[in-house]
Amino acid sequence: MKLFEHTWLRVASRITAITMLVTVLFMVGCGEVDDVVTASDDESSEAEEAIEIVELPPIAVAEGDGLPAELPGDLEWLTNDSDPEFASPDAIRGGTFRTTITTFPLTLRLVGPDSNGFFAGYLRYNSFGPVSFHPSTRRAIPALATHWAFGDDGRSIYYRINPNARWSDGEPVTSDDFVFAVQFMRSEQIVAPWYNNYYTDRIRDVKAYDQYTYGVQGADAKPMDEMHYNYAFGPKPRHFHEMSNKWVEVYNWKPEPTTGPYHVGEVSKGKYIDLVRTENWWANDIRFYRYRFNPTRIRVKVIRDVNTEYQHFLKAEIDTFGLVLPDFWHDKAQGEEFDNGYIHKYWLYNQLPQPSIGMFFNTNEPMLAEKDVRYGIAHALNFKRVIDTILRGDYERLPTFQVGFGDYDNKTIKPRTFDLEKAAEYFERAGFSERDETGILTRDGQRLAFTVTYGQQHHTDRLVILKEEAKKAGLELELQLLDASAAFKKQQEKKHQIAWGGWNSQGFSPRYWEHFHSDNATKTQTNNITAYSDPAMDALIMKYRGSSIRSERIKLAHVLERLVHDSGVMVPSFQVPYTREAAWRWIRVPKSIGTPTTGSIFNSQANSAGSFSSGGLFWIDPAMKEETLEAKENGEAFDAVTIIQNDYRTQL
Amino acid sequence: MSVLNLNPQTVKQLKRFRSIKRGYWSAVLLGILVILCLVAELLVNSRALMVSYEGEWYFPTYGAQNPGTTFGLDYAYETNYRELRKKFETEDQGNWVLMPPVPYNAFENDLRVGNYPPNAPSLADEHYLGTDSTGRDILARLVYGFRIAIAFSTLLLVFNYVAGIIIGCAMGYFGGAFDLLFQRVIEIWSNIPFLYVIMIVASVVVPTFFTLVVVLALLGWTQLTWNMRTSTYKEKGREYVSAARALGAGNIRIVGSHILPNTIAVIVTFIPFSIASGITFLTALDYLGFGLPPPTPSWGELLSQGTNQLQAPWIVTSVVAAMVVVLLMVTYVGEAIREAFDPKQFTYYE
Repeated sequence: MKLFEHTWLRVASRITAITMLVTVLFMVGCGEVDDVVTASDDESSEAEEAIEIVELPPIAVAEGDGLPAELPGDLEWLTNDSDPEFASPDAIRGGTFRTTITTFPLTLRLVGPDSNGFFAGYLRYNSFGPVSFHPSTRRAIPALATHWAFGDDGRSIYYRINPNARWSDGEPVTSDDFVFAVQFMRSEQIVAPWYNNYYTDRIRDVKAYDQYTYGVQGADAKPMDEMHYNYAFGPKPRHFHEMSNKWVEVYNWKPEPTTGPYHVGEVSKGKYIDLVRTENWWANDIRFYRYRFNPTRIRVKVIRDVNTEYQHFLKAEIDTFGLVLPDFWHDKAQGEEFDNGYIHKYWLYNQLPQPSIGMFFNTNEPMLAEKDVRYGIAHALNFKRVIDTILRGDYERLPTFQVGFGDYDNKTIKPRTFDLEKAAEYFERAGFSERDETGILTRDGQRLAFTVTYGQQHHTDRLVILKEEAKKAGLELELQLLDASAAFKKQQEKKHQIAWGGWNSQGFSPRYWEHFHSDNATKTQTNNITAYSDPAMDALIMKYRGSSIRSERIKLAHVLERLVHDSGVMVPSFQVPYTREAAWRWIRVPKSIGTPTTGSIFNSQANSAGSFSSGGLFWIDPAMKEETLEAKENGEAFDAVTIIQNDYRTQL
Repeated sequence: MSVLNLNPQTVKQLKRFRSIKRGYWSAVLLGILVILCLVAELLVNSRALMVSYEGEWYFPTYGAQNPGTTFGLDYAYETNYRELRKKFETEDQGNWVLMPPVPYNAFENDLRVGNYPPNAPSLADEHYLGTDSTGRDILARLVYGFRIAIAFSTLLLVFNYVAGIIIGCAMGYFGGAFDLLFQRVIEIWSNIPFLYVIMIVASVVVPTFFTLVVVLALLGWTQLTWNMRTSTYKEKGREYVSAARALGAGNIRIVGSHILPNTIAVIVTFIPFSIASGITFLTALDYLGFGLPPPTPSWGELLSQGTNQLQAPWIVTSVVAAMVVVLLMVTYVGEAIREAFDPKQFTYYE
């Protein structure tokens, strides 16, 4: 289960070691030391302080909350054994899959300081929850639980755990592990305020009814599928964790046993981490999990630079390589390895929620508080030109703030497009009609100029074109490239004028409270980076949040999305409704290449892109590997292969 | 020479410098390049040098921009003179446009649908060194990048030398506690890892031209102090200093008019190398992404683009060639100056 609904785009996790070092240096240098840093520093300097074992308190339940003491007798137990399987029975088990990360993780803990790095994805997806989601039908499918039932109050679920489920150390998974998970996540010993809050505020009660049956109560009523998504957290092994004031340090490099197919094997600090397939894994022959997770070992090597990574890939030192960026797909991924068919290229369209990316206007800025100015800017941004030229027509224009949620999408919204006449009209309405000698519009000596804050160096190319085109409309955009974390901080503190970036989207329905509710408009460190507030919208957002009827939520989402569009506080930029990857010939995939919710074809883990159980479908063919390497040695060629899979492409 | 009233020693040194052909011609060439880049707008620019439209002459290079409407076009933003030239040519009504030799500026993206940058050098498109990954003219970015780099290193040099000379001279001249104190200060100061400081600054604020100069100068002034201190110390012991003091000259007068001219050789020989290091500094910072903010034209940014896009060899070749040529010339000049100012030449063993 993935708890981070909206995290700032993955860029942040791509920060190089250098920039992290800078951040640390800066924090230390300015004496403005981050809490987390002091905590660990102090502890290590006060050497050998005794470890105090802590007994975690039982689950505290607030008034008005709480599950029944006895398991209700009238529950309707549900399961899903009818949705189609999606793995290929031809898959061959075995082999080592070699892949990379850009920085070595700072810890192998799943929570606590520094645990949110890129590698955490490998660890988290190996901690199964009670249910998962079918990658095509998006309905719940069994994982650790075989059956589930919904309580009358609209916000509680009961699960029956598969009695065969085991931790990777051989211990059985019991309902007590789920109770412990909440105790654990609420404890201050893990130094994870976000989780502390989530498991207190969103998860209101958890109760074990017998060894294999337990119930969860959440904060709000939600539609059934979304209830799983929000409240179906994974267990924590009570037998493994000894809670103490030193938990963060003691467990820093002690990987937790997993319930998923892989557990951490050999670790060479700074170099690589091996994930080893758990022997006789309990889900080996279960529907939806058989024929999956085929390599017996996954070696995750540290390679800091994407170009270096590519060179390793060409030398067959790693098995696959991502080609989403246009220059990689079109220009760099060329040559004899591709022409001779040693490496295959795949382009798979999917239907995942699209990241909400674009320009976000800070409405605390006087000029940007004017709707006409915002509309004018939206019409002065030539996204089409960026797409048609440097993005090679590969990307698509994102129509509105949030899309990719099926019925929730308001398909009637069309983005504001580059139109100099309309831009001029809106700017004139705002009083900007005279151009100064540099061609920028002015109003009583005030220039129509804004700073765009962003943190991704490789987006400079796109912004440079937008900037040059905006000049035609008499709008000046100053580009301010900061390092990713500094840019994020600035935007979170609402010190920007225009923020360029966005939010990852996950789950089953769009979210509005974080981004547009007035509660978050005035506070810093919230996701409402436009500081926008509108009482009418507030009311609708609260109604949307509290509703458990799907059709009503869909209607509300359509209205809300329209309001977001009308406010003009965000100009949507691009969407990439596909993944593109290359793999050596011996990495085989099912005929369908992937599923409609496959975020990454060669994802070795159970889930990709949040909650959908779409990973681990590929396998390694040892005979083909030998054949390919031999052919490469002798200069023999196979047919070049480039597969474009359009089946799941959405026409917007 | 007589106009400048140079002393015979200097005249000799200049003659000697002139006689070192490689250095002399490098200096001349470099001088020409610097002068040319000062008027780069006349040579490399998207604005026309001259437009003759309906009997009137326009000189758009400098000054306010002319909206398209000035020349009967239907838009209010700046005229695209390359298109205007084509339009006038096809209309053939006696109007004409004179473009600079390279008709692109360093910022505009020359993008055409279906044609994906970077584009290879092309005479037809007048991109003599090709375009970069967003379709900007590489020659234009090289020229304007050179201008910024030269201005940057000159300014940096002035700051560094003013501080270095004043403090170095004072240390050598006054000696004692002042000298000791500053020696320690400089030792500590010069141990600050400058790259980290720049990285920190760059991660918090967007470095502008001047903040970069100031930060680099704050960290760089120490280099010259040691040399100045030593030579001042040496000169201070000479009889002419005692003589000046005996005649009642003050400290400032002694240092300014007596000691400094005699240590000038030290300063002058360092100048070319400081210029070269200034250029490399800026390029390195831009390459790493801690330099001037985009879209400032810069060699470092081109270099980083080039190394990322080895399939477009014209980017990396252009910028590497430009760097090699400029740095070589600066080094030749430096060598020649050092040789010309070398006092050993006048020492004869008998």
